[in-house]
Amino acid sequence: MTKRRLTPAHLLAGLLALGTVTPFLMVVVLALSPPYAPTIPQTWPASLTLDNLRATLASGNFVRWTWNSLVYSVVSVVIVLLTAAMAGYAFAKKRFPGREILFWSFLATLMVPFQAMLIPLFILMARLEGVNTFWGLIVPTLANSQAVFLMRQFIRDLPDELFDAARVDGAGEWRTFWQIVLPLTKPILATLGIFVFLWHWNDFLWPLVMAQSNAMRTLTVGLATLQSEQVARSEVMAGALITVIPCLVIFFLLQRHLVNSIASTGIKG
Amino acid sequence: MASVIAADVPADPRRTRTGSAPRVPGRAARRRDMTAGLLFVLPMLVLFVMFRAFPALGAIGLSFTNYKLSGDFDVVGLKNYADFFTSEVARNALATTLLYAVIYVPLVLAVALGIALLLNHIVWGSGLFRSMMFLPYVTSFVLAGIIWTWLLSLEGPINAVVGALGQAPIPFLSGAQPLILTSIASASVWHGYGYSMLILLAGLKTIPEELYESARIDGATAWRQFRHITLPLLRPSLFFVLVIETIAAFQVFDTAYVMTGGGPARASYSLVYFLYDSAFRYFNFGQAAAVGVVLFAIVLVLSLVQRLVLDRETA
Repeated sequence: MTKRRLTPAHLLAGLLALGTVTPFLMVVVLALSPPYAPTIPQTWPASLTLDNLRATLASGNFVRWTWNSLVYSVVSVVIVLLTAAMAGYAFAKKRFPGREILFWSFLATLMVPFQAMLIPLFILMARLEGVNTFWGLIVPTLANSQAVFLMRQFIRDLPDELFDAARVDGAGEWRTFWQIVLPLTKPILATLGIFVFLWHWNDFLWPLVMAQSNAMRTLTVGLATLQSEQVARSEVMAGALITVIPCLVIFFLLQRHLVNSIASTGIKG
Repeated sequence: MASVIAADVPADPRRTRTGSAPRVPGRAARRRDMTAGLLFVLPMLVLFVMFRAFPALGAIGLSFTNYKLSGDFDVVGLKNYADFFTSEVARNALATTLLYAVIYVPLVLAVALGIALLLNHIVWGSGLFRSMMFLPYVTSFVLAGIIWTWLLSLEGPINAVVGALGQAPIPFLSGAQPLILTSIASASVWHGYGYSMLILLAGLKTIPEELYESARIDGATAWRQFRHITLPLLRPSLFFVLVIETIAAFQVFDTAYVMTGGGPARASYSLVYFLYDSAFRYFNFGQAAAVGVVLFAIVLVLSLVQRLVLDRETA
């Protein structure tokens, strides 16, 4: 048993870790500094205030953008989890013609960068009159091969007896899925849910293209607009702070889980 | 954003029935199974055909036209590609992206590998450090861009340190092109090195400790252990990280959009920036689609090289 001793490596790693999170702490200080008053790095602000946060939340824009980001992320998570679990179950446990070729075609689309599909997707959605609508923003992002892949791998390792038993008991296909597959896949659904949420919450290019009206902007697009309009730094940072809070909450609750799932699946947000 | 899966195990139909003797279903049961399977796949299949297969093929088709937002278009053959490789702006975008990749990829690899080696060296308590270093990854590139614009600004903390050392402030975001691209790369490295570091750390953990022990008994130096044990055995993980980071470098956009707006004087005008502007500033959708196809070709070549190298190593 190794004794718990602090080594120079601990010191170095600790400094690097601290250096990595320090920018977040700076955002907090800047967001709490009075606008246009001297602040870090020149001097510690004379007073800290919640006025920036209050003003940001009071302006209708930010509440609206937060709502848009929430709808975009939460609705996407629910539908991706449901459709990916269904497809993963079929690919893992059902026999139907074309199963393998279909599965590998899904995976092959991972090779096509999203930016290459951006223009055709935009034109398609423009023709369907989906620009500046929630459904136009959400629906094209639901085709998620990574989710299907992970669901299939997970369900494949579940014993067949469970599903056979349900059949013997007279459960229909849909009930089997709802009462056996979904509860058993909770761990992988949780992991996937977090990553899909973060991916949508942090997404930029697609909302930038699809949400052209101010009322439809997501937080990332709204923040980028604030930055380019050169509004007071304290205001931008207050917005940044509000934007990052859900990510930090998820992170602090689930960091061990997140870190482990990257090492084991290579999932990428 | 590109998504990549590390552990794509080939499908083996024999493995689908885990732990049970082969069932011999009747014809009716088989048909029921088949119908259910197709119905369960159907929603995702529709999404895939409409929003992945169709746009992927559509991109190629569009790139041969001069599509207008009104829906009118003429087939113009290879004109968009010819324009791409002859226009000054497009060639600049390609060169800028290449230079960015040359700066970003070694930087992120060195940081991720260095820190992974450091953390692997720590016997206990590395979990906290690992989590702190992963934190920026759960936030957006937009946020990284906003934070780093301030960190690197003339009155920001980094220039405060430069000033304290008695030097003139460094124009990180308005100086020479390599400096600007390094600044943007720094924001991306901060945002994402935690991910690559975790992959490399997982790779390091699979190297058996006995190898190092016997090397030490033979009197091998730390450098020789790294060179002859760590590097060769870490190759698959390193190569995976190298490829996904290179692909990410070719897709750089969010950070450039937020930090410099592609400027100054197009010094940070990347390929995806050119794609975006072609479509949404100049409404030249055919040209934008052609840029997308070029980007796809680059990513495809990188993925195929990865496949080939990894297959050869496992063979």
